[in-house]
Amino acid sequence: MGIHIEWKDEVLIAKADGRIDGTNAQEFQRELETAVDTSTHAMILDLEHVSYISSAGLRVILLTAKSLLKKDAKFAVCSLSAQIREVFEISGFDKIIAVHASQTEAIAALKN
Amino acid sequence: MSANLSLKVETKIKELERIFAAVEDFGQKDDWSPDVIFRVNLVLEELAINIIHYGYDEGIHEIDITLTSESDALTIEIKDDGRPFDPLNDAPAPDLTSALEDRHVGGLGHYLVRTMVDEIRYRREGDRNHSTLTVYRKQ
Repeated sequence: MGIHIEWKDEVLIAKADGRIDGTNAQEFQRELETAVDTSTHAMILDLEHVSYISSAGLRVILLTAKSLLKKDAKFAVCSLSAQIREVFEISGFDKIIAVHASQTEAIAALKN
Repeated sequence: MSANLSLKVETKIKELERIFAAVEDFGQKDDWSPDVIFRVNLVLEELAINIIHYGYDEGIHEIDITLTSESDALTIEIKDDGRPFDPLNDAPAPDLTSALEDRHVGGLGHYLVRTMVDEIRYRREGDRNHSTLTVYRKQ
């Protein structure tokens, strides 16, 4: 698991890769907490290169969404694989976190 | 034709890496779809983490894992000598509907397991939990 941070149009993009599971969820949480602290008004978590996520990783995404809500900042996830999308839907996360097909779509939605 | 994989792991989070590597290797050799590999990894991770976190007061214990692959389904068996725990009935119901600010954090693991497999059976054998989960190899 790794996270690459970049800015596009004043939106912080956290692009994760690899597996997000019980062995590295704490590291994932630390990286995203840093990203949340840095982000001003909008953040996107891009999961295009994430191949696997378990409840340990979902927990961190939910905590991130809550932290950003408290900061009154927008949050979206994008580019989920079919399996990760299914896990998101089963968990009911798609009802409380914006999910977009691509990073471009996510940026456009957050800028509106 | 059926194929088997047996694996003994200790009750340590680091052991998940060994489980994932074994599933990946067995799944590739046995021609599982990426979807089936994802499901089997998820089931084993969630059940193993629960045993590691809640099964024991102390000490390092052993978890026995067996995968049996047949043409139409694969079966995951997991045995431990921790506290009695039925993955079908003993896990609390998850919060799937609260608004973001109120959404309870955690408790999704067993719900994901129950949703992502096709059959679950549980029995307590002496001082051991024995869970059997089946995933159909549909297209």
